[in-house]
Amino acid sequence: MSVKHVLTTCPYCGCGCNFFLQVVDNKLVGIVPDKTDEIGQGKLCIKGYNAHVFVQHPDRLTHPLIREGSQMRKATWDGALDKIVSEIKRIVAKHGPDSVAVFASAKCTNEENYLMQKLARAAIGTNNIDHCARLCHASTVAGLVYSFGSGAMTNSIPEFENANCLLVTGSNTLETHPMIGARMLHAIYSGAKAIVVDPRETPLSRVAHMSLHQKPGTDIAWINGIARVIIEENLYDKEFVETKTAQFEGFKKVVSSYTPEKVEEISGIPKDKLIEAARLYANSDRAMIAYAMGITQHSNGTETVKSLANLALLTGHIGKESTGVNPLRGQNNVQGACDAGSLPNFYPGYQGVAAAEMKAKFEKAWGRTLSDKVGLPMTVALQLAAEGKLKALISFGENPMMSDADITHVEEAFKHLEFFAAADIFHTETTKFADVLLPAACYAEKDGTFTNTDRKVRRVRKAVDAPGEAWPDWKIACELGKRFGAPGFDFKSPAEIMDEFASVAPIYAGISFDRLEKEVLTWPCTAKDQPGSRILHVGGFKIGRGQFALSQHAPPAEETSEEYPLILSTGRNLFQYHTGTMTRKSPKLEREAPEPYVEINSGDAKALGISEGDRVRVTTRRGSIAPMARVTERISKGVLFIPFHYAEAAANMLTNPALDATAKIPEYKVCAAKVEKA
Amino acid sequence: MAFDDYKADYLLVMRAEHGSVAPAFISKGEEIGDVRFDIPYQLITVLSRIYPQIPKGKIAVVVRKCDELALNELFKRGIIDGKRIFKIGLACDENIIDKCRCPDPVPSKVDIGEPKKGVAEDATVTRLRKMSPDERLKFWVRQFRKCNKCFGCTITCPVCFCENQCVLGERTLVAEKSIPPGLAFHLVRSFHMADKCIECGECERACPAEIPLLTFRKMVHADMKELYGFTPGDEKTVSPLLTTLEGEPLEDEKNVC
Amino acid sequence: MTEFNPTILAFCCNWCSYAGADLAGVSRLQMPPNVHVIRVMCSASVKPEYVFKALSEGIDGVLVLGCHIGDCHYLTGNHRTAKRFPLAQKILNDVGIDERRLKLDWVSAAEGEKFQTVITEFVSQIKQLGPNPLREVKF
Repeated sequence: MSVKHVLTTCPYCGCGCNFFLQVVDNKLVGIVPDKTDEIGQGKLCIKGYNAHVFVQHPDRLTHPLIREGSQMRKATWDGALDKIVSEIKRIVAKHGPDSVAVFASAKCTNEENYLMQKLARAAIGTNNIDHCARLCHASTVAGLVYSFGSGAMTNSIPEFENANCLLVTGSNTLETHPMIGARMLHAIYSGAKAIVVDPRETPLSRVAHMSLHQKPGTDIAWINGIARVIIEENLYDKEFVETKTAQFEGFKKVVSSYTPEKVEEISGIPKDKLIEAARLYANSDRAMIAYAMGITQHSNGTETVKSLANLALLTGHIGKESTGVNPLRGQNNVQGACDAGSLPNFYPGYQGVAAAEMKAKFEKAWGRTLSDKVGLPMTVALQLAAEGKLKALISFGENPMMSDADITHVEEAFKHLEFFAAADIFHTETTKFADVLLPAACYAEKDGTFTNTDRKVRRVRKAVDAPGEAWPDWKIACELGKRFGAPGFDFKSPAEIMDEFASVAPIYAGISFDRLEKEVLTWPCTAKDQPGSRILHVGGFKIGRGQFALSQHAPPAEETSEEYPLILSTGRNLFQYHTGTMTRKSPKLEREAPEPYVEINSGDAKALGISEGDRVRVTTRRGSIAPMARVTERISKGVLFIPFHYAEAAANMLTNPALDATAKIPEYKVCAAKVEKA
Repeated sequence: MAFDDYKADYLLVMRAEHGSVAPAFISKGEEIGDVRFDIPYQLITVLSRIYPQIPKGKIAVVVRKCDELALNELFKRGIIDGKRIFKIGLACDENIIDKCRCPDPVPSKVDIGEPKKGVAEDATVTRLRKMSPDERLKFWVRQFRKCNKCFGCTITCPVCFCENQCVLGERTLVAEKSIPPGLAFHLVRSFHMADKCIECGECERACPAEIPLLTFRKMVHADMKELYGFTPGDEKTVSPLLTTLEGEPLEDEKNVC
Repeated sequence: MTEFNPTILAFCCNWCSYAGADLAGVSRLQMPPNVHVIRVMCSASVKPEYVFKALSEGIDGVLVLGCHIGDCHYLTGNHRTAKRFPLAQKILNDVGIDERRLKLDWVSAAEGEKFQTVITEFVSQIKQLGPNPLREVKF
């Protein structure tokens, strides 16, 4: 009778709470929150408490499968791996290594992501490696690298509690990051003033000091409007601006035209409220900005992120306790996947692929010649696949058939691919196109690390055995790498992989499994005796000076018209998670939010004769779905909201695949739609 | 702490692990490790998840006074067999007693720690009783509107045992996707816990929104005492909610909530 | 000044109080119209959940009517109701809702007039208490 309590990290969101998995004889029986955990403090959200339920679900993939016509037949690991390698080699020989792409996974560990990008770069010879950060915070990485030199959250989660002003925009924090939301609540109930800017009235809006509703896609306007008020009223930190920033004069000129009247006209935010918000943010000494998809998922997402960063540069609210610009990363390890180099333009540790000295460094470390051509972002790779220009894809734990915009075209991509190999834990809408499907182990069945949104590297520990013949992704990547004939894929444990990752990425240099046994480390952690860095940009910026961005408001790629008069925005809810692969197999979560729905303003609903619970048809230029109507006053007039979790009414059938020019992130938050009773 | 001190096959304690403090269910023969008593974990809840998988053997568990009472409630309902549990009494220290506003922190037998005095009253309860009903309602609405439906209060509660049939999961009571759930959620929970809650305070510690749940429990506890002279936590007395007006237990009432 | 028109639920048990309500109706006894009668098989089947949900959502008053003690069709059903009730009222009081918004009474099948009295008195009591403050609360 073996009973274990295994300390591990939650596989759901970017909060990265720790808890103990209760295991009796290889069976998961429960979850106990970790009371000494800095993030969770002995508390969890409903998903966290149910994080063990999907693990030993009977639908787990257990054997490698190879496609034969319309059937998938059971295969051996050798057979499946050999087939993948032989197909890829054949395609590379015919079309070159850049005709292949690898999708890594924000759900997999740092070690696994490191190996996946090494597989693409060292074994196959292409920089076409990307993962779903492309769909959520790609604009953050691009934007904040420009503004500050680093694309990550500048402060830490516990600091939210001590803020006296919170500017939260494009983030439904209590639903998407419950434990960060809990800290915000603590601050608010202790007197902090929260300014929430969102087209919907979210649970956080209801307790906020100021709840402002902007028209979707007008964020640069109101942000520049706030900057203008701060400059006009002399509320900015002159010393900081003069000594630590660049391009202030150009910035001042750009924002001078964003008068409160003009901002009200563009965004709908009342001018007196805008002024009040600006004064509040500027005058509070512990003012934190927190943001998520509402800012990033736009065709001008990168510019929007930069304009938010401008506010911190203007007021000097950065590099200090309870300040900063804090992107709330969604997936449990999307931060880590980016850190580990699963990006087409960065090696591990954000070292540029296009930089000659970096290329030389990695060629030396990995013993292979590498490509110097920047690779394809995921969204562009799929577009090229649909045109027949990308021939092969290996995907680890990604579900583009649910998560990418304009699913009809994504389907074209998968249909056109000459070869598609996938590794996953369950069958998904994407795996049904796989020529080879590999069963993977999930977080409870392997060792490794996740890096959460505030840059803490936390251990994931094996609690139970993987079902059937499922392997952890690091083992799959190693076996594939070996078969490709590349050196450096011979690892006996994730600890060894982390050691190699630490040796090539300075921001992770001080991190090792031994140290993680005793302490939680926050990157940058540049030496084995260094404790890590909680707050970024203390005392200044590595790039010398923070850069103001001269961002201008631009309308979204698709505006409303007579035929499509409503703005459709998509997003998430508390109970389901992203494409639903894990949560839809968890009864208690499924019970809470079982059905696809569309949130529609009560005034709009009345005009269209729609009542609560009616089945309606939502159509855009891309497609049409039929969810249930939720009539509410908690959304702005003229705006619709659909969560993207439900395969039976997939929101991404409707979304616009227009991409941000720099970050290539789709515009999930705005497109034009119409609704009618079904 | 040594296994030989207890005639048990298993030991359930808290111990230091991986830089944290973890619950540990240790089999005889395994190393016990560095036992800790400073972090108030709810070991009875931990036990109740493991217990159905352990068909035989005696289990020694570190219990505070509240844990002892929780065990009595579980023994009474036949959920755990009292003959298999060996209690190691832990007297709480002042820090924990203050945080729990605990009136009765000394277990029936003290094996670890020094018995300390309890706290006479919960300051918030006193303050609330002095308020007018409208003020009190404002207070509770302001608190309960923070609820994010994590169900932490029910999951970590040692005497909340209706796991898969909990009425709080019924759509007719609490509409799906409603955050916060209405006031009814909390009132129903209070009612169901009224004859079982032994005030361990775990619900309050598990609440991410820091709602003063223990305070509400204490108010209901006082009500039960006033109405029926009943306090949860003794091994024999059947809950007054499960008896007739003459005090006779109603039929088939053992595991009903 | 507009008069406050309360919304009230009355759970009446099939065997006694509902029959009593019928009798009151057949006898054309005048009663205020604010009461919505819900027939249940036994007053004990009125779970505290229904009462709490009703009051949380803004119902101004809840009345539970059962058989006299000793007359319950299911023998001990109304014992259970009688035991639960005071606790439910106390909990309402603890949270700040006036416990007089919840009332338990016994009405037999023959007591049409008692039914009328109970309803009329309860409605006037609720009118005095005013609208349920939770009506204004938007959770």
